[in-house]
Parts: sequence; structure tokens; C-alpha cells
Amino acid sequence: MTVLAFDTATAACSVALGRADGEVFEHRPESGRMLERPAHATELLPAIVELLDRAGAGWDEIERLAVGVGPGAFTGLRIGVTTARAIATARGLRLTPVSSLSALAAGTGASNPPDGAATVAKGGEQAGTCVLPVIDARRGEYFYRLPGGEDCVSGPDELIDRVAGLEARAVGDGAIKLRDRLVEAGLQVPAGDDPRHVVSAVAIIELSRAAVAGEPASVVPNYIRPPDAKVSSRERWLVNAES
Amino acid sequence: MIEPDQLMLGIETSCDDTCAAIVSGDGRVLSNIIASQMDHDRFGGVVPEVASRRHLEMLDGVVAIALSDAGVTLDEVSVVAATQGPGLIGALLVGFSYAKALAAAAELPLVPVNHLRAHVAANFLQPDPIEPPFLCLIASGGHTFLERVSDHDTHQLIGETTDDAAGEAFDKGARLLGLGYPGGAALDALAREGDDRAFDFPRTFVGELDFSFSGIKTSLLYKLREMPTDEFERVKADLAASYQRAVVDMLVGRVEHALSRTGLERVAIGGGVAANSLLRERVAELGVHVKVPPRELCTDNAAMIAAAAIGIAPTPYPKYAALDAFPSGTPALAAGER
Ligand SMILES: [Zn+2]
Repeated sequence: MTVLAFDTATAACSVALGRADGEVFEHRPESGRMLERPAHATELLPAIVELLDRAGAGWDEIERLAVGVGPGAFTGLRIGVTTARAIATARGLRLTPVSSLSALAAGTGASNPPDGAATVAKGGEQAGTCVLPVIDARRGEYFYRLPGGEDCVSGPDELIDRVAGLEARAVGDGAIKLRDRLVEAGLQVPAGDDPRHVVSAVAIIELSRAAVAGEPASVVPNYIRPPDAKVSSRERWLVNAES
Repeated sequence: MIEPDQLMLGIETSCDDTCAAIVSGDGRVLSNIIASQMDHDRFGGVVPEVASRRHLEMLDGVVAIALSDAGVTLDEVSVVAATQGPGLIGALLVGFSYAKALAAAAELPLVPVNHLRAHVAANFLQPDPIEPPFLCLIASGGHTFLERVSDHDTHQLIGETTDDAAGEAFDKGARLLGLGYPGGAALDALAREGDDRAFDFPRTFVGELDFSFSGIKTSLLYKLREMPTDEFERVKADLAASYQRAVVDMLVGRVEHALSRTGLERVAIGGGVAANSLLRERVAELGVHVKVPPRELCTDNAAMIAAAAIGIAPTPYPKYAALDAFPSGTPALAAGER
């Protein structure tokens, strides 16, 4: 089965194409990209086209489509989800939503437990080491998943309070930003250029096997946070004049 | 180039309306779906994040209805046209990314469209298209400008607002008068009951053919600040009528001046403000041929996006894959987003 998957929850634009013969083609940004400005609008679709080219596959060969639905940066999430919905609509496919925190926790795409803050029982680490996925939520806040499976958003102080003393490896752009405080709280944080900090689209392919596909229009980003009720510039004068 | 019998799918998400349309290469509108977002009222303006979320929720359905209303399937569409800018960047990116991916997965060509050009191109749609040369005034909540249209793809900007858009002046005036948001239509209705000479409002003319609408709303704000509540209730309709007349005077004054400067004998009006009854009346009195497209082609819509794609060589698959949306082009909508 040919599977296309991508994630745009962080500044890293991750795309993977799994060909029917088992070979996987990947557009995998370096982890340093996560601290730069996102460029999903100009990077995502070219990467998809390029992977199809490299794999020698046509659009009509895609049989399953999966997309990371966050949580993450709102504009990036929408570019990913709207792109996935359009492809699904054009090709008559169903669409599989996958949590970006799950994908980040699952790691670089090896067969890890499918969901939750995965307990990593192999890969040279001791059993019992949890993975704490942390995605930058902007405005000084972070999205993360606690070992119990609860998705949270909070400022750094609350995050540290809740995870202090955990025997866990923290990954993601949020973990890079909060490295010093996480390490101080007793967690491990891989080096900034470690690929485990990037939400892997290969992990999304793997997680999508067990996930439920739906109608394209039913797939929405997991924003977690309500929209900021900030009125557009064209109304700002009024607000200022009245206050 | 698009053949007359080929079909285009137009997509527009630059502000708070989610729009899709099917238009033929000879300008026939087969469907024109506009899903308006009503949930901005309570904020007193368009909230970009709310607008972007709603676009994503609604776009698939709006495209599906545009296709079914036209009685066609995506397989029968030859070209996708979508607004690339200007507008709210987060809102644009939902529709433009969708259009790019839809076109790519169907291996169709794409035409990236400038929203402002599309307002002018609405005049070329059937029935009753107007042929160049003509003078075009586009006035809406997001833009106000005057163009000399010499040919389908030859046009010259000859005047534009230096601050607010005319529709913005109406909406803000309406809000100050307690008529809600967006209140252009309510202001228009209330003005009909009032004396349009009861209050003095400044008419500002900038440069040769430019507009300015920031002074008039400040003037209204000052009048209201000094006014006791009982008096306000008594003269509300007079305020609305006088305010509306001042905005329309400025628009019509510029149109009149532009007609004499350019020697053009026909004028087309578009944008949401073209629905204003006083503006329509006053322009009709100018003694030139006036074209006002139907209301659903004046306000933001996707049929005009497809109309703008006629005569533009489409970008073949997959050369458009890396195109980005652009926010600026009209100062009123450009600043402060993302
Ligand atoms: Zn417009």
C-alpha cells in the first residue's frame, strides 16, 4: 500500500512516502530548522511532488493519506490539514488524522508503541524511560503530553512543576527551548541537532496503520487553545478610540 | 489560455467569506457559493484567527456545493484559480494551499489571482459584461481605489485611499451609532429616515485622485462624545444620513473628477459599498453609462477570482507548488497579521 503522510505542527516540514514495496522516501528537515521561521506554504507541496518523483509514483497510486493534526502552531497546522483535505478530495481518499505529540513521542519511525508518551523499551535505553514530547505553543506556552496520556498547554513553570523528577527524555522544539530547565528538573534532553526532536512523518505513517480514517472534511486541527480574540488592524482604530 | 468552453474552479478566502465558484472560459457563472462568517459581530471586527479556523472548517463543503450546483465534477474542471493576496495572511493560506494541493493532486494548472484585480474583472462576467475602456471604482471594507481599465488586462491605478477604506468608514460609523458590525446596510437604512444636511462632516480630498476616510469617523466620534444620550436618540437618523452623504460625496466627487480627467464615458462600480443605495443614485446622476454588477459579484466572491483568471496563462502543474500567499497590497488589510 502506498502511503503519504506529513506534519506541519512545528517549523519543521516533515513529509514521508511509503511505497507499496516497503521502501520509504522522506523529506526530513534538520532539527535546527525548528528554531527558524516556518515555511510550510512554500515547502510542503514541493516536497510531496518531489517524493512522488523520487519514488516513481503517481498521485493515483496513493492509497492512504495521513496528516499530523497538532497541537502546534495554528497557521502551520492549517496549511497541513487543508493540503491533506485537498489531496483527499481530488483523489477520492479518506484522511487519517494523527496526533503530532504521538508522532513526536513515537520517535524517528522505528516501531514504537503507537500512542501516549511511549515507553521506550528498546534502542539501547533502559525500560521505564518515558518520552515527554514538547511542542512550542508560542506566546511563552508549550504543548506537551504527560505520561498518563493527557495533552496539556501551559507556561514553562507549570510544565516543569508537572514533570520534575520524571525519568524521561524530553524531545521537540519546546524541549530544545526549555533544555536548561528540563535538565535541571532531572530529565534528559538530546542535543539540539538530534533528529528525535523533529516530528517524524515516518512515525505518522506507522501510527496511521492503527488509526481511523475519516471523511476529509471531518479532519480538523487539534488547536487545544481557543483563538485569540484579537481584532484585525482595520478595526483597531475604533477599539483604541473608544478606550 | 482558457478556452471559452472550459471550466474553472475559483476559490477565495482573503477575509471572512469562504467562497468557491464554477465559471466558464467565456465568463458564464455556473455557480457562486459564498459562506459568510457571522461570528465576528460580537468582536466588532474580523478576528483573523477565528476567520482562518472557519475557512478551514467550511472550504471543503463550499467547494463541493459549488461543483454540485454547477452540475459538474472535479474531473470536468480544467483550471483552478485562487486568491493569492492581498488579505489576511492566515485566511489566504487556507484557500491558497487548498487550491494548490487540489490542482496538484488532479494535475491541473493553477492561476494565482490578485484579489483587487478580481474585483475589477467581475465586470467582465456574463450577463451584460462591460467592455473597456471604462473607469472602475472599487470600494469595500478592505479597499478603495480608482482604475482606468483600457483593456481586459491593461489597467492603471489612478487613485486609492491613503488610510481607511470607504466600507470601513461605513462600518465604523455604524458601530459608533450603535448599529452593530458590520453595519453598512443598517446605516444605509437608518440614513433614509434622516436629514442629510443636519450635521456637517468634513470632505477630505487627498492628492489628485486619492481618498481619505479617517477624518470623517474622527469627526463623528467627537460629535458623539459631546452629545447627551437623549439628544443622540433624537438625531441618530440625521447623523446617519449626514455621515453617509459625506462619504458618498467623497466617492462621487472623485469619480466625477476622474471622468473629466480621463475623458472616459463609462464607469463600473464594485466592492461591497456598491450596494449602498445613495452611492448608486448619485452615480446614476452623473450622466455617463454606469455598470454595477449584481450584489453577489460586488462583495467578495470566487466567481470574480475565476473571471480574473480568464486571459491569464495558467501555471502548469507542478510549477506553482512553491508559490506563497501574500498579505499586502492594501494597507488596510495588510498590517499586523500572522
Ligand atoms: Zn474584496
